[in-house]
Amino acid sequence: MTAGARTGMREGFVSCEVCGLLSRPAGAEEPGHCPRCGAELEFRRRDAIQRTWALVIAAAICYLPANILPVMRSTTLTGVEPDTIMSGVVILYETGTWYLAVILLIASVMIPLAKLASLAYLLVTVQRGSVRNNRERTRLYRILEIIGRWSMVDVFVATFVVALIQMKPLMSIAPEPGVLFFSAVVILTIFAAESFDPRLIWDSSQGKQETNE
Amino acid sequence: MTENADFANVPEATHVPKKRSRVPVVWIIPIVAALAGVGIVVQKQMNEGPTIRITFPSAEGIEGEKTLIKYKDIEIGKVMHVNLTDNYTKILVTAKFEKHAEGMLDNDARFWLVKPQISLSGVSGIGTLLSGNYIGFEPGKSKVKRLDFVALEAPPPIMRDRPGREFALRADTLGSLGLGSPVYYRSLDVGDVISFSLAKDGRSMDIRIFVNAPHDKFVSADTRFWESSGIDAKLGADGLSLRTASVTALIAGGITFEAPSSGTAAEAAPNTVFTLFKDRTTALAPPQKDVRRYVLRFRESMRGLSVGAPVEFLGMSIGEVTAVGLEYSQQARDFRPRVEIATYSYRFTEHMEKKTRALQEVKTMEGRTDAIDQMVADKGLRAQLRTGSIVSGQLFVAVDYFPDAPKAKIDKTQDPPEFPVVAGKMAELEDKLNNFVAKLEKVPVDEIGNDLKKTLATLDKTLQSADRAMQSADRTLTRVDAETLPEAKKTLEDLRRAITSAERVLSSTDNTFLGPDAPAQQELRDALKEIARAARGVGVLTDYLERNPETLIRGKNKENP
Repeated sequence: MTAGARTGMREGFVSCEVCGLLSRPAGAEEPGHCPRCGAELEFRRRDAIQRTWALVIAAAICYLPANILPVMRSTTLTGVEPDTIMSGVVILYETGTWYLAVILLIASVMIPLAKLASLAYLLVTVQRGSVRNNRERTRLYRILEIIGRWSMVDVFVATFVVALIQMKPLMSIAPEPGVLFFSAVVILTIFAAESFDPRLIWDSSQGKQETNE
Repeated sequence: MTENADFANVPEATHVPKKRSRVPVVWIIPIVAALAGVGIVVQKQMNEGPTIRITFPSAEGIEGEKTLIKYKDIEIGKVMHVNLTDNYTKILVTAKFEKHAEGMLDNDARFWLVKPQISLSGVSGIGTLLSGNYIGFEPGKSKVKRLDFVALEAPPPIMRDRPGREFALRADTLGSLGLGSPVYYRSLDVGDVISFSLAKDGRSMDIRIFVNAPHDKFVSADTRFWESSGIDAKLGADGLSLRTASVTALIAGGITFEAPSSGTAAEAAPNTVFTLFKDRTTALAPPQKDVRRYVLRFRESMRGLSVGAPVEFLGMSIGEVTAVGLEYSQQARDFRPRVEIATYSYRFTEHMEKKTRALQEVKTMEGRTDAIDQMVADKGLRAQLRTGSIVSGQLFVAVDYFPDAPKAKIDKTQDPPEFPVVAGKMAELEDKLNNFVAKLEKVPVDEIGNDLKKTLATLDKTLQSADRAMQSADRTLTRVDAETLPEAKKTLEDLRRAITSAERVLSSTDNTFLGPDAPAQQELRDALKEIARAARGVGVLTDYLERNPETLIRGKNKENP
């Protein structure tokens, strides 16, 4: 079933990931370099699945402390108060700015989680040689690449706030370890998305289906 | 070995292509992430302090996940939840204690709620106005660990590590004292009242005070405490003397202590019980030791003698009256007043010059008692009632020398011994009056009356003859009238004529002096005008002064004439 997919690799060609030129590989083991732009050619990204899995798992591990540990600590006259991401969402919601709460919830909690879940889904389907919804999965991958970086907004805000609000006796804000884990999650998912090779999605699919599409 | 060996059997080494390591380096990333995560969890677990439960009477200002537990102003815990206890009467606070402070959670540890307090004696916990109430904590000294606590109803008055000593005072009433009332030593605030309670029998107040180190060493076994809340005014021969404590003590009450000047006693141990006196005078009164009791049997009225009245020896207080009553004498079959006194014989020697040989003789109580016995027997030492104040009629017992008194001595067969008495000053006065009346009675009033009668009769006769003399004089005067009056008439007429002629002379002189153009008249008029002007001037001046009386002192204001 899975053997029927018609891909460039199977036809004996390799495409350049940089300039897109289709060329004949120099050898079966080492495809060599692109004759046009000189970039190193690969049939498929090396160890894409393992590498992506590693990064996804690392990101998932970091996701827990990122949400449990406080991201920053605000010191005011009334005392010291640590804030986690979720407590920030709750405070924004309770103070009436629900739209900001929604933005924060989506950008900082849901998108990283959605990215992790999507990557895991892609990896599992590729490993199982699934042939269904190839187009949708490719689209999902594209979306992942685009929105992933927006999660960094949270980190930016935190760093801005820490730098700006330093009115020492009245109020000051200091970063807490949570923000480190949070940026680790964002960066690791970006790398994970990068290391995944969407061409793998098509490797196991029926050549016929694809051409017919 | 041998040259012709067969090499055909030597196997050929196989070429195995070098395999790339199967596990890519990228797996280090999740391992590091996992390690970091595990590290944080472990660290959290390690830093996780114990969870404690504190029962509070009310949850005033305690908020879950917010209220802090503080010790010496640093945070050592945080309230997690606030719930009602199972029987809904109290508040159960669950709190997370910091790991580093775990060792302080022992059996004697105390928790209480810190909230702003404003009272007369001070303001505390102002910081909580901003930060909200917090839970105060103080570790105990016990070795037994504990996780369930019952909070104190109020902050403890003193911290356990506060250096100083605690003492107990017994007072009749609490007066104006309260928690935190200051304790003064030489007007310096050295401590405060930390608790008070009614004694078990309800007859006195037990007040506990704390005196801070290093001033606690001034509290010695003979230190006197008194309430310094108020003004102590005394009008004496040397004028009015006023003693006040600080304004705080005036308002909030306070306790002052002072050691008697002769005090050489050792420092008082903690928790020593002292008496709290009402004022400085009673507090610093000499101690009542070496008490010797006597009974006095007077023959006179006890009106004005009350328990507590002084017993004075040559004007010096040596004791007091302890009982005034009646007793029935079986021999005489009558009731008699009976007065009991307590004397402090050490006061005889208290102010004697030191180190004289005479002092040695009366240094001991026995020596003094012997001396007193001697004085009673030989010198006529007696007790007597005297009036202390003529206005109020208060009596006191005076012990004095009466050399003429009949021989007597202290009757030691009784308990307490009977001290001989002499009649009081009032009784003496009565005697004297009686004598006077007796003498009066001896006066021969009847004879005097008869004599008087005779004298009066003689006087009557004399008066009658005087009357007769007066009548003859009257007649003489009538005669004189008849003979002398016509002559006098004539003389008067002559006089009138003389006056008429004088009148004429005068009218001629009038023209000179009294005519409208007479020079004298003119001058007189001028003079009168001057006087009128002067009078107007005075009028103006008085008007001005009435309006501006201050000019008398300040002078006339130039800008506002």
